[in-house]
Amino acid sequence: MSKKEKNIDQLEKKIKTELDNFTRELETVKNLIELDKIRTKYIGKKSFLIKTLKNIGDLPDDIKPIAGKKSNTARNKVESDILKKEKIFKNIEYENKLRKESIDLSLPGRSTGTGRKNIISQVVEEIEEIFIGMGFEIAEGPEVETDYYNFEALNTPRGHPARSLHDTFFISKDILMRTHTSPVQIRYMESHKPPLLIIVPGKVYRRDYDVSHTPMFTQIEGLVIDKGINFGNLKWTLETFAHEIFGKDRKVRFRPHYFPFTEPSAEVDVSCNICGGKGCRVCSGSGWLEILGAGMVDPNLYSFVGYNPEEVSGFAFGMGIERICMLRYGIDDLRLFFENDLRFINQF
Amino acid sequence: MKVTLNWIGEFLNAERLEPENIASALTMSGTEVKKVEYIGDKYKDIVIGRVVDFSPHPDSSKLSLCEVDIGSSKLNIVCGAKNFKKEDRVAVALPGAKIKNIIIRKNKIRGQISEGMMCSEMELGLSSESEGIMILDNNCKIGDSFSKSVGLDDVVLELEITPNRPDCLSVIGIAREISTLIGAELITGKYDFQKRLNIDSKFKIEIDDYNLCPRYSAKLFRNIPNIQSPQWLKNRLILCDVRPVDLIVDLTNYVMLETGQPLHAFDKDMLYSNKIIVRRARKGENIKTIDDSIRILDDDALVIADEDKAVAIAGIMGGKDTEISENTKNVLLESANFYGPSIMRTSKKIGLRSEASNRFEKKIDPMLTVFTIRRFEDLLEKVANFKTEECIYDNFKKVKRERKINLRVGKVGQVLGKDIDAGLISGILTNLKISNRIKDNIIEATVPSFRYEDLEREIDLVEEVARIYGYDRLDSIPTSASNRRGKYSLYQKTIKDIRQALCYIGLVEVINYSFISAESLKKFKINLEDGYKNNVEILNPINEDFKLLRPMLLPALMKNIKDNINHNIKDIGIFEISKVFKKNSSGKLPFEINMLGVMLTGKAAQKGWDEEERAFDFYDLKGILEFICKRYYPYGSLRIKERQYRFFHPRISGIVNIEDLDVGIIGKIHPVIIEETETGQDAYYMELDMDKFINNIKETKKYKFVPAFPSIDIDLAIVVDNKIKSEDIVNEIKESGTELLKKIRLFDIYRGEQIEKDKKSMAYSLSFRDDARTLKDTEIEIIVNRILESLGRKFNARIRE
Repeated sequence: MSKKEKNIDQLEKKIKTELDNFTRELETVKNLIELDKIRTKYIGKKSFLIKTLKNIGDLPDDIKPIAGKKSNTARNKVESDILKKEKIFKNIEYENKLRKESIDLSLPGRSTGTGRKNIISQVVEEIEEIFIGMGFEIAEGPEVETDYYNFEALNTPRGHPARSLHDTFFISKDILMRTHTSPVQIRYMESHKPPLLIIVPGKVYRRDYDVSHTPMFTQIEGLVIDKGINFGNLKWTLETFAHEIFGKDRKVRFRPHYFPFTEPSAEVDVSCNICGGKGCRVCSGSGWLEILGAGMVDPNLYSFVGYNPEEVSGFAFGMGIERICMLRYGIDDLRLFFENDLRFINQF
Repeated sequence: MKVTLNWIGEFLNAERLEPENIASALTMSGTEVKKVEYIGDKYKDIVIGRVVDFSPHPDSSKLSLCEVDIGSSKLNIVCGAKNFKKEDRVAVALPGAKIKNIIIRKNKIRGQISEGMMCSEMELGLSSESEGIMILDNNCKIGDSFSKSVGLDDVVLELEITPNRPDCLSVIGIAREISTLIGAELITGKYDFQKRLNIDSKFKIEIDDYNLCPRYSAKLFRNIPNIQSPQWLKNRLILCDVRPVDLIVDLTNYVMLETGQPLHAFDKDMLYSNKIIVRRARKGENIKTIDDSIRILDDDALVIADEDKAVAIAGIMGGKDTEISENTKNVLLESANFYGPSIMRTSKKIGLRSEASNRFEKKIDPMLTVFTIRRFEDLLEKVANFKTEECIYDNFKKVKRERKINLRVGKVGQVLGKDIDAGLISGILTNLKISNRIKDNIIEATVPSFRYEDLEREIDLVEEVARIYGYDRLDSIPTSASNRRGKYSLYQKTIKDIRQALCYIGLVEVINYSFISAESLKKFKINLEDGYKNNVEILNPINEDFKLLRPMLLPALMKNIKDNINHNIKDIGIFEISKVFKKNSSGKLPFEINMLGVMLTGKAAQKGWDEEERAFDFYDLKGILEFICKRYYPYGSLRIKERQYRFFHPRISGIVNIEDLDVGIIGKIHPVIIEETETGQDAYYMELDMDKFINNIKETKKYKFVPAFPSIDIDLAIVVDNKIKSEDIVNEIKESGTELLKKIRLFDIYRGEQIEKDKKSMAYSLSFRDDARTLKDTEIEIIVNRILESLGRKFNARIRE
């Protein structure tokens, strides 16, 4: 063995002993303070390894690289072992600290507001969004109307039998509370050219007050006018709507009906969800629930607004919002909608 | 309207009418069947019996022991009635039958076996009261089912007839529809009555205005039989919700239900002479109608008169003086046609609607009058074996009752979105009794009299084709117009957003009627405030509570909180977005303003396990106002201008001003109003004109680079007189704070021991920043000193040590 080999061997042995001692002692360490002591002892300024590294310059040149490498490896090992240990102790310390910070998760949270949009607004907005998705815009009109827009221009002149279906509130001989949202059809057509797709939500008024009638209620009217619009388009639009609002599983049927300002006219039913169409108390045995009235715009109306009935055609529809709410949620008294009992409103 | 299937069956050449099929076919062709009622089922196990003998019950003087023959056997029945005799035919409910929801059983009554029950009319549901059991005609066959024997083995259809189809307000009309739908032949009597019209001149009919009365037909019946209507006839009336009265009245009703033509019977001997005049009423002329009311008429009402006075209001109701009574010997039967709109106007004016007026309103076919008289004669002969005189009086100014319409085959396809074969269209029209022929893809149709009012134009025929062809057979076609973009307008989007935002911060949305009472406006002293004075009035309100259109939302929201407080819900934040109304100059539509009302009452925060209780106050409401404002006016100025309103607390009452525009009011409800409305707790209210608020929004949002240099924050507490307003201090600070001052926030107000009485300490946090560099403390010090100096000068403020 050369002198060089001898020196190296000696150094290796010393390092090994040092590491063995370190490993043994590290195992007995119980906390961060003891760990700190070990850190000082083995890689502190005065420790063997650090001193060796510091004094490496004094060693003979042929030993320097090997000695440096060996002691460095040893120091790195000590350092990383200590870090590992430190992490473990720190975790334990955190855990102990956080354990003491436990709270009662079952306590109620601090209250924020519990506001609620009125059920009517909710359903109106839902319907608006369905139709917006189909390309409709939203039009509005006055709640106090002229006889002309409410009746006359809708093919219902004075003395027309359909007038007795609408018990009307009058402001004067020619001014009244609109009995439906349909006057907006005329107003909109007067100021716009086809193609047009609109829905018209709003309050309407009829002189009636009992379980199934309130003097004010909410309607949504729809109007589509373009070249070549036909009854098939009406069916598609309203079927799509009914499926969106009541569910794809509901059947939809169109029944002939009469409205003065549409022809052909229809009433639209969806299958009763209570009995599944077999007939029950809710659908009065028919298996169907009426949801809206519709029809092709009567060509006469075009003469009031200056459209050419041979060029354009269209359809219109209207529905009662409260009725749709009632069918959806099983509400049995229309008056509840306007009593504003928070115990009612907050259910939806 | 109710009709029975057996009755309809009399006019159809059909083997059997299946109720469900008929109902469904009617519904799907536009005559909605609301209800199908199986009458026969109600009378199951009720048979015709013959009283063989009876004797007193041994233990009860009120009861009898009867032996009743029901054909197959003889039953012992204990009966409490006394109105029968041997051989009488009676309705016997056998064990198992259901009478007034009770199932009949064989049992013992006071020790005697009773094997069934002899029924009264009331028990059978045929009248609302009755004395004794029902005695039936001796022709009834013993053992037969009761319902069959008396015409109750029937099915009632309850129909909704749309106003365009007066022809369907009759059994024959419905039979005609069904005949089209199921392809069965319609059979109505073919009467040749031309030869019988006006063959004598014993009676005269004078019509003043044929526009109002196109036709008046009448017939005299002398020495009418004094008998009751047969049971089957009464029963049919009952099934159709008409109360039987006497033979003549019953027949007029029966025939009206059958043909749709209202009839009226006068006691001929009570008429002044042999002349009927159809004329307008004289102004103020009055008549006592058969419902015992005196009706005062206008000169646009049409009356039937004799040469002395009005004896009926045409088409609405007959007069009391000429009404049929049990002493009536001779009858004048009226079968007339009146102009619908005139009848409608009079009926509305005098507030009287009748079965007849309801029909005339919808315009009845004038061809029906004589036909209906013939039906009446037929029935009278059938039930009373009564032969009448030949002459039928008829005053009729002939009008054209046929209309030719050309229907383009292509138009049908265009409207319906499905091409329908010309032959098929022609067949449908033929089935509808609309004669037609096809010529070059045009169908030349001739509308019959009974559809004259309803079918005027090509489109009317398209509808007829569609409803008979079946809507369910038409295709569902996506609309080509749907490539358009749908959207909310900015206004609509903003309303929707405000509604949503208010809900997020804890408010509940209410919706109230647009109506208000004058009393309510008075109670809130709203009637005394300019700007709320000119209210829109309803001419025909439901009651006084619904008399006016509301000029503001306040009273309704007050009522809402009060109602909820009564339900023990006391902490309330609600809002409503609705129109309010103000009168415009006469003849014009009123002004409609979309208003947002917000009301707070009770506690803002409940006492919680970790929270202190706190009542709502003005600043909660102002916070909501600021919240809405900041969303839409991020750089706009919001001010509350002091202004007293009678419904607000005199010191907590103001106008909401945004960017120099008055958009609403805000305040605390006047304590006196709280007291008078018995609300019991303070409330705060704000109202914003949404139209002004939204239309004034400017698109001001612009990108400014995010500050790169830190700000310097300085807290500044000054002591000033109590009466100095925060707004003025802030404005002054802004004034002297230079453009480096970016933000001012009030974070504390102190009044108390540490400072003089009548003074307050206001603490503001000021934030200075320069976008181009980091500021130095020294330059801020100079600015702050300048601020303090000017505050001192203006408000006598001093810095709080």
